[in-house]
Amino acid sequence: MSKFNNWKAIGTVLGETDINEYHFSLKNYKAKKGDIVTTASRLPSTDGTVIPVTVWGKISSIERFNAFFPAEAAQELTNEDIDIRDTILPTTKDELRCKVIILGYTEDGKEKISKLLPLNYPVMPAAIVKYPSSKDVEELFISDLDSSHPISIGNLLARKDVEIKIDGDNLISRHISVWGMSGSGKTVFVRRILTELLNLKYPSFVLDIHGDYLGFVQKQKKYFPDNKVKLFYPNLSVRAEDKEIVYTLIDKLGNTLTDPQRDFLNSLLEKIKYEGGSLLQYIKLLNVKAREFASSGSTSFKNVKPASMFVVARSLRIVSKKLENMEQTNARHRRKMSHLKFEELPDSATEPEKIISKGQMSILYLRGYENLPASAIVSIVLENLFRHRQEASEEIAPFFTVIEEAHNFIPSRSENKDDIPSVDTIRKVISEGRKFGTGVMIISQRPSRVDETIASQCNSQVVFRIVNQRDQRATTRDSETLSNDDAKQLPNLANGQGIISGQIVNYSLPVQIKFDEKLINDDIGNENFIDTVENWDDKESVKLRKKFAKDFADINEIDSRRAN
Amino acid sequence: MTLKVDIKDKIKQNSSMFVNFIKNAITASPKVQNNFLEVTTKVAETALKIIKDADLIVDLNYKGKEFWSINRCKTSCFIDGGVDRTSIISSAPLSIRAGSYIVKPDATSKREFFEESMVFLGDLYDPKNELYDFVDDDFEEDQMLNKKKDGARIIFEAATIVKHILLNKKFDYCFLHGPLEATVMPFTVAGFPTFTKFAVENMFPFISKNSSVEARHFINAYLEALNYIKKSKFPIYGIVETSNSAPYIKNLLFNYKIKGTISDKDYNSVIKTIKKYKITDSHILEIILSSGQALKPLEVKKQLAGFTVTSGSAWEEKMDSFPKVFIGYIKTSDNQAPVRIESLNYPKHLIKDYEYILGTSRLLPNYGFPVGLNVVDKFAKIPNWMSKTSRKYYATHLLRQAIKNKDQNTVSLAVKILSKKSRSWKNRPIGGISK
Repeated sequence: MSKFNNWKAIGTVLGETDINEYHFSLKNYKAKKGDIVTTASRLPSTDGTVIPVTVWGKISSIERFNAFFPAEAAQELTNEDIDIRDTILPTTKDELRCKVIILGYTEDGKEKISKLLPLNYPVMPAAIVKYPSSKDVEELFISDLDSSHPISIGNLLARKDVEIKIDGDNLISRHISVWGMSGSGKTVFVRRILTELLNLKYPSFVLDIHGDYLGFVQKQKKYFPDNKVKLFYPNLSVRAEDKEIVYTLIDKLGNTLTDPQRDFLNSLLEKIKYEGGSLLQYIKLLNVKAREFASSGSTSFKNVKPASMFVVARSLRIVSKKLENMEQTNARHRRKMSHLKFEELPDSATEPEKIISKGQMSILYLRGYENLPASAIVSIVLENLFRHRQEASEEIAPFFTVIEEAHNFIPSRSENKDDIPSVDTIRKVISEGRKFGTGVMIISQRPSRVDETIASQCNSQVVFRIVNQRDQRATTRDSETLSNDDAKQLPNLANGQGIISGQIVNYSLPVQIKFDEKLINDDIGNENFIDTVENWDDKESVKLRKKFAKDFADINEIDSRRAN
Repeated sequence: MTLKVDIKDKIKQNSSMFVNFIKNAITASPKVQNNFLEVTTKVAETALKIIKDADLIVDLNYKGKEFWSINRCKTSCFIDGGVDRTSIISSAPLSIRAGSYIVKPDATSKREFFEESMVFLGDLYDPKNELYDFVDDDFEEDQMLNKKKDGARIIFEAATIVKHILLNKKFDYCFLHGPLEATVMPFTVAGFPTFTKFAVENMFPFISKNSSVEARHFINAYLEALNYIKKSKFPIYGIVETSNSAPYIKNLLFNYKIKGTISDKDYNSVIKTIKKYKITDSHILEIILSSGQALKPLEVKKQLAGFTVTSGSAWEEKMDSFPKVFIGYIKTSDNQAPVRIESLNYPKHLIKDYEYILGTSRLLPNYGFPVGLNVVDKFAKIPNWMSKTSRKYYATHLLRQAIKNKDQNTVSLAVKILSKKSRSWKNRPIGGISK
């Protein structure tokens, strides 16, 4: 007996149908966009018989129109301030026409709903459209997902009682992109995923720019007692093979150099070997050496005058100053959260197991760092971790990397930042990651500014509210399963509502992400700046400065008085 | 002089006049083309003088918000018929219906009803009386088919009004899309089939069950229906968008001729001119009337005998007994020609009724036509998909019945009906015969 008979009839299939979509006329208020609906059909089977099936589909759009209401009547109603209910105009002849994207079919007569199969024969016109029970929809999703590690992320947007799970195995191996405006729900989703990965003891490495994930550190003991949540601050350790990255960093962060000056910098990097250690120390060392060569009028560098060497030395000093400033800024932010235990990032080349370990989440707190140094840090760390996975010894377990503000680390070619160090690294990790268990999640509020090749290699996508049209186009460009109808919905999504698509769910589904409120970082304010100003009181040092400033102003005033 | 200049200006702004001018430019002689503007101006001036003399112009009042707050308690019924566009050689027009849109804005429960008021399944025309009218001439064949369709639509619309009266509906107004009394002359042709007994009994129960076959002819049945409609307790109006003739102006001139205010010679001359220049009521009144103005109704005899088809025919006398129609005009908007208002009785509350028509038309400002009729027109119209489907069903049913009969001639007849044109029939593929 088909379950179909027990579901409520909500409409009738219209006109022409095909194997991908159909339209149906909907009863008022009986379904919403994004709802899952079914229709009974018959298909020719492989053995030549005709079998009864249930075709499952998702409502991708709903049009509502009143064909009996002439547009020009609206003009008169507005101009004359007439209430339509006072007139003879019809108000009750609304028609609802839904477009359904076919997800697949299940064979009837089975006790459990089987996995969806691709439809190869059109749906019957004039067939009844039914509204399956939430229990059956959930059963279909679970059976279709066929996952050994399902991860719960929330519920179907149109139905609160239908839980949506994604395939954990595909998530951690096939890469995922998360797009959405600021405040649309990206972090909520990432927290959900990280929570589930912690429960699975799967290692993760999070590049946290704003401190959005520090809640995990704060509440680790309470909610994840069996896991480790490590919080690191960057310590740039460099090795001889990182020469290119160091060169780029100096070239981009320092003064603009001429070709001979660049040649000198290159030769300097060749000459001054540095076997591991802090990048800052290395740059300081380079600065000292450059000065020495310039002062001594060294002739070991062909065609480079001492003046050019001084320019490079000055540039190195600027770079080291900038790096110091960034380190200090990061340290100031860390000091604000003194109750959290920050550790210096271990050397990823020699101690990768301190970063990646079973059951551990490692958060690299990058606040205060400019894009380029942050990119260099990420590039060096990821390169090393990936190498450890690549090598036969497999010194570290498979892990999952979360890259926040991805447009800073993997900018689009149109941004002209192709030489940013992390681009090549992440491209390599993404293209080969599937083999080595180094899945990546890239997150950005500006998908159009993210490298197209990397974005298109993400087999799954979660898209939250996006208003910018370039970004909307970028989401459909990079996805094989996100339709134009889905893209149209993007500007209207509320906080925490997203469209999930790709290999982690098989088809695109509008979802309300479960909000793990308990994991919010208590130290990050609620952005209520008006209240902050209301309660504002200057620090003692500021008060004193203001007082002295007044005294000095008085002196100046007296001084500038004319005689008499 | 001022009047002339004013009318000339109006002519220049007048769209339907311009259309007529273009038509004349194509079909009329150079002299007619040349004089069109001058002649129309002169006719309009003269008509305006007579209209003013007869005190026929009334100014209607319409203030949107106020109007609808007063009239929200009125129950109105709008009626229109729809016929499909496909054609099959058969006496039974397929897919025909008449719909009603009934609305009472301030109703406490349901404010509006869409009703398929007249749905008739079965043979509308009598198969025993020239069921399949095969004629050699395709043109005549089409003409007859179109007449049957028109006849069916007209009778359905009349039957819908009759039904509402029979059911004792409490309408404040009832409006029909089109003339309340259609010209019956086209249905006087020899060979036009009668309706079935069943159809007539269903549509017009007041027609005697034992009536003759002749009584079931379109003209007789329609006359009975109109006489019944004339006795209705609620006002019923037929609304016509554009007038292709000049019944109002001609009757006005005729009345003045009878009174002796216009000489026979002048009357005949101006009627000849109107025909020659194809001047219609719409053209003249569009430039005479301003938006919100109406013309009081004149009693007009619609069924005019004397044409070749009716002259000497048995229907000539019958046509004389059709009720006269009261025709008035309302100019509902600046952009459109006045709409023609037809009723079988002189309106008891002329100004209020006409103001109601104006008010409902103002909700369709560009079209200038009662919006309720626009609504019911969409409702009653038979869309292409429905026409196609009904034709398919009809074809399947007909062939199945014919094949079940096992008579070769019946099958051939069915195929012939579905072939529509006799040429298609002649060129049909015939198995086993090589030419």
